[in-house]
Amino acid sequence: MAYTLQFGQVTPYLWYMAGGAWIALQLAGIAFLFGWAIGLVFAAVSEYGRGPLRWAVRGYVIFILNTPLLVQIFFIYFALPDVGILLGSYEAVAIGMALNASAYLTEIQRAGFRSLRRQELDAAETIGFSRVQTIRYVVLPHIVKVLFPPLSNQYIILTMTTSIAAIFGVEELTGRAYNINAETFRSLEIFSIAALYYVVLTFVASTVLYWIGHYFFRVQGKVF
Amino acid sequence: MRLTRRFTLAACALVAAALVAAPATARTLDEILADGTLRVGVNPTLPPLALFDDENELAGFDVDFATKIAEMMGVELELTQVGSPDRIPFVASGRIDFVMGAMTRTSERAKVIDFTVPAHTEVFGVLTTQDKPYTDWRELNTADVTMVQVRGTTPIAFIEENLPEAEVLLLDNYPDVVRALAQGRGDAMLDVVDFVGELMAGHDVEWKVVETPVDIYYCSLGIAKGNYTLRDWLNVALYELHRTGFTDETWRKWFGMDMIYPVQASPYF
Repeated sequence: MAYTLQFGQVTPYLWYMAGGAWIALQLAGIAFLFGWAIGLVFAAVSEYGRGPLRWAVRGYVIFILNTPLLVQIFFIYFALPDVGILLGSYEAVAIGMALNASAYLTEIQRAGFRSLRRQELDAAETIGFSRVQTIRYVVLPHIVKVLFPPLSNQYIILTMTTSIAAIFGVEELTGRAYNINAETFRSLEIFSIAALYYVVLTFVASTVLYWIGHYFFRVQGKVF
Repeated sequence: MRLTRRFTLAACALVAAALVAAPATARTLDEILADGTLRVGVNPTLPPLALFDDENELAGFDVDFATKIAEMMGVELELTQVGSPDRIPFVASGRIDFVMGAMTRTSERAKVIDFTVPAHTEVFGVLTTQDKPYTDWRELNTADVTMVQVRGTTPIAFIEENLPEAEVLLLDNYPDVVRALAQGRGDAMLDVVDFVGELMAGHDVEWKVVETPVDIYYCSLGIAKGNYTLRDWLNVALYELHRTGFTDETWRKWFGMDMIYPVQASPYF
């Protein structure tokens, strides 16, 4: 292979790309927070709700889980304006990713609720815990411990999913890498650096999440 | 994307120059007439100038145009598929008699091949909608203008240099850009406007091409350097095609709209 790496041509853009990584981080954070909150409510409805409300939630989750995220965002970005709802690039992607994540997070948190055992609740009642005490000392520690690893995984996946925002004109990491590529044609260097940024984003997230899980929720596990 | 090709062509012109150094084997008009076959190069990567139709046959504006020219010459047409990088070497080495496919006349290319009078034009200009007030592309240089462009194309560099104040929204492809303009996500697009004609027709929007374009490209038939017997006949033929309305009619057929700046057919050439 006669290709000579020329990182020098790309280094002036490192800050520009770091700005893109920051936007990717924001998008992942927003999608995760909203997806988590919606998912929590929907998981509760899925497990303990009944009637039309439960069916509506189940229908939503099944629909979202079985359609590609790209199609969902295309719908929000390009189809909704035809009925008068015009969302900006960033908003459309953030909403699309949050809705998509909410379905996955519903299923994950539903599994968390399922992991609670009848005996644990009976035991709490036997030793005279109040309802608040039961939730504080029995339900939450158990659920969080079970849920923490899959929730962390979902966050990492979301970080990498932000790359599709480039298609909708959000100048995040992938979009910026593409822009520089069009100017310098140093594809090998640019996309290696972009990949490195993603590794940094996910590695930092993995490490932080590991320590939080380890010290606050006594989750067993390793970063790698 | 189309413009990127223009620049790669500068490099290809050099390659072609090397090929031309070899003895030219281009066929004169007499040789073509005697042979009974006209060999024309078209580029199917540039629809609707040339494309593959439902039967996987070459079709398009250039194909109709070449067919008509062969008919006027009274010979058979033999189409050759060429790409942007190799089309000039193809004609310079005499493997085809002339080449089509948005062959914009440039002084750089004219060092290597000769050109006929223009066959059609292309407008590098601003596409916007009727409700926008712009009459000159320079008016777009304000912060409240959003340009919608295809990511990775050369007009972006032009905008950065000449319209630095304008916001730029980059999307993935031409259909998305035209749709975004139609939906009001942005104010204007700067690119070769003719080639989005078909896409524009797909939206119920009053389009407007800003009066003062950035540039108008004149696309000719490219022939081998010094093949004047062929060029002189083609010039006469082109004049007739323009005068009789064949050019405009064929353009409308393939582009879904009139040529934005029709060729001013002149009898003096």
